[in-house]
Amino acid sequence: MLEIKNLTKSYGDVLALDRFSLELKKGEVLGLLGPNGAGKTTLISILAGTLRDFSGSVSFLGRDLFADRSLKNRLGIVPQDMAFYEELNAMDNLLFWGGLYDVPRAELKKRAADILERVELTGRAKEPVKNFSGGMKRRLNAAIGLLHRPDLLLLDEPTVGIDVQAKVSLLDLIRKVGAEGTGVVFTTHQLAEVEGTCSRIAIMDCGRILAQGTLEELVRLVGEKNIVEISGAFAAAPLTEALRDLAGNGLELLSAADGLAVLAVSDTGQIPKAMDRLFRRKLDVTDLKIKSPSLETVFLKLTGRSLRD
Amino acid sequence: MRRLGLILWNDVRRHLRAPLAIIIYILIPIAMTGLIGLIFTPEKTGGELPPIPVVLVDHDKNLASRLLMGAFDADQMKKMFQVTAADEAEGRRRMAKGKASAMVVIPERFTLDFLELKPVALEVVKNPAQQFLPDVVEEFMATMAVMLSAAVQAFEPEARGIRALLGAPVEAVPWETLGPEFGKAQRKVVAARAYLNPLLLRLAEEKTKAAGAKTSLSRSDIFSIILPGMAIMFLLFIVQTVMRDMIAEREDGKLRRMLTTPLRPGELIGARLLGGWLMGVVILLIMAGFGTLVFRVRWGPFGYFLLLGAVATFWTAAFFALMNALIRNRNQAGSLSAPIILAFSIFGGSMLNPEAMPQAFRTVGVLTPNRWFIDGAALVRDGRFPAFPLLVLAASGLVLLALAVPALRRRATV
Repeated sequence: MLEIKNLTKSYGDVLALDRFSLELKKGEVLGLLGPNGAGKTTLISILAGTLRDFSGSVSFLGRDLFADRSLKNRLGIVPQDMAFYEELNAMDNLLFWGGLYDVPRAELKKRAADILERVELTGRAKEPVKNFSGGMKRRLNAAIGLLHRPDLLLLDEPTVGIDVQAKVSLLDLIRKVGAEGTGVVFTTHQLAEVEGTCSRIAIMDCGRILAQGTLEELVRLVGEKNIVEISGAFAAAPLTEALRDLAGNGLELLSAADGLAVLAVSDTGQIPKAMDRLFRRKLDVTDLKIKSPSLETVFLKLTGRSLRD
Repeated sequence: MRRLGLILWNDVRRHLRAPLAIIIYILIPIAMTGLIGLIFTPEKTGGELPPIPVVLVDHDKNLASRLLMGAFDADQMKKMFQVTAADEAEGRRRMAKGKASAMVVIPERFTLDFLELKPVALEVVKNPAQQFLPDVVEEFMATMAVMLSAAVQAFEPEARGIRALLGAPVEAVPWETLGPEFGKAQRKVVAARAYLNPLLLRLAEEKTKAAGAKTSLSRSDIFSIILPGMAIMFLLFIVQTVMRDMIAEREDGKLRRMLTTPLRPGELIGARLLGGWLMGVVILLIMAGFGTLVFRVRWGPFGYFLLLGAVATFWTAAFFALMNALIRNRNQAGSLSAPIILAFSIFGGSMLNPEAMPQAFRTVGVLTPNRWFIDGAALVRDGRFPAFPLLVLAASGLVLLALAVPALRRRATV
C-alpha cells in the first residue's frame, strides 16, 4: 500500500532523512520508534505534504503520493499539535475538518457521530473543546484524522502529554483501526506503546531505519545477552582501554561515549570483572543498570543510547 | 470553492462564538464619535458667544468717558458686551464671583488730558479666572484707543476748541468765537465723509461651500465628518483581528493540518483574504447603519460610500495579509499592528484634522488608507463620486496583494 524509497531530506548541514526506505501493507500497524531528532516528524511531514525540498519517491496505493492530489482523501494525519479550534465544539470541529475532504455532506454528520462514539466523546459533542481535558483533546485530534476513513493513518507522537487511561484508550483505537484494514504509521519514543500496539516495529535513528520486524524478531537481534549501561563522569577512551581484553570473552562493548557506555553481556560473571577494571583505573562510575533482553535493549544495542537521550 | 466557503463559514462561526473583540471594535468608534461630536457641536444659537460682562469704572465722568460708554451701548457692541457701570470695588467683587470678565477704568481728567493730546491711559483689569473673554475686552479696548488717538490727532484744533469749552463755564465762551471752529470742523467732517462714505477699503466676507451644502455645521454634520475617520481606524483593527488568525493557525499547527487535506494553498489564502474583507465590509455596514440611525450621519450616495468602504477594506485585508506573511508570530503581530494602525490614524487624519497638521505629517498621510478613505467619504458626502481616492486605494491594494500572495504561499509550505 505504501512504498517509500530513498527519501532524503536535509536542514542545512543536518541530514534529517538519509535514504529512508519503508514498505507498509494494508492493515499493518507500524510503530516507528526513535529518539528525539531521529527524523520521525520529518518523515510524517513529508508524507503529509507539508514539507518540500526532499529527494526520493513515495508510492501510495500504486500512485505517486505527491503527484496525485486526490490521494490526500485517502490519507489521514494526526499531528503532534492539537490542531483544531478550541472555541468550537467537538461536532463542529469534525464537520469543519471533515468538510475539507471530499466526504458527501449527507454522510459527514453520520460519520462525525460515529467517530465521536468511537473515541467516547458523544456526551461532550456540543461542548466547546477548550473545556476538554488533555486526553479528550488527544482523542478528538485522532478522530479528526479518522473521520474521512483513510486507507493510511499517520500519527505523530499521538500520546504526548496525556494520562495513562487516555493513552490506553488511544492505543486501543489505533489497534482497532489497523484491524479494520487501515494501514497505520505511528511514531513514538515510548517503547511500551509500540510493544502492545504495533504489528511491526521499525527502529529509527539519524534519519535511517536501523532494524525492523515484529517485537520477537527484534528481541532476537540481541540474543540472550543482557545489556549493561554504565554511567558516570568518565571519558570514553580510558573506559574502552580498560575493557579491551574482556571483549570477546562473554562481553561486548556496544558503544562508549563520555559518561555513558553500553555493553552486551552473555556471561554475567564478567560484570564484576569489568567494574573492577574500571575502579582500578579510577574511572568515576556512578550508576550501573543491567537489563534483560527487551525492545529497550534492542534499541540500546542498535543506537547505543537510551530513548530518552 | 466549496472548501473556500467552508473556511469562510467556519471563521464567521468562530468569531460569532467569541465576538467580544469585534463588538468592542464596533462600539469604540461609535462611542468616540458620539463623544467628540457632542463636545464640538455648536449650540442651537449658532455658536455665537454670549455678551461678555464688563464693568466700566468712570472716574472721569466727562465727554470722552460718556462717548466710550456710548460706544459700548451701540447695537452691535451690545451683542458683544454687557456693560455695567460701577465703582472699582464692586467691579473687583463681580470679577471675583465670575460675573465680569474685565473691568475698564477710565481715569480722572481723561477727557481733558485726551483733548489736550496729553498721554492718557485706560486701564483694563482682566479676570484671571477666565481664559479668552478678558482678552477679547482687552483687544477691543486697544482698538478703541487706536481709533480715539487717531481721531483726536486728526481733529486736533477742534479738540483744543472743545477742550477750551469744557474747561470754562459755558456762559463765559463768546459764541462768535465758536463759529470759525465749528466751520472748520464741519469742513473736516465733510472731507472725511468723502473718504469714509463709501469706505474705500472694506472687508469682504465670503462663505465658501459646495453646492447644496449648509453654511453652518449641525450636530449631524460634525458626526458625518468624524465617523468616517473613526470607522477606518477601527476597521483596520477589526480586519487585523481576523487576519491574525493566519499566524495563530500557523503557530498551533492548524495550517499544516489544513494543507494535509485536499485543500489547495491558493484556496486557503483566498479564504483568508476574502474572510478579512467580508468581515470588514459587514462591520463597516454596521457602523454606517449605527451612524445613520443614532447620529443622523449624512453619508451622501450610499452606493458610492459602500464602494469606497469595500475598496478600503480590500486595501486593509491585502496590507495585513502581507504583514502577517512577513512576521513570525502572534507576539510580533500584536506589538507591530497597534503602532502601525495608530500611525496610520494619526497621519491619515482619523485623530487630527489634516488641515491642522504640519505639512510633513500631511505628506506622510497620503501613504495611509485613512487619508484616502476620509477624503473619499468627504467627496461622497458632497454627492460626488470619489474617483481618485478609489483609484489610489484599489491600485495600491492590488500591489500589496501581489506581494502578499507569494509570501503567504511560502509561509504555508515550508
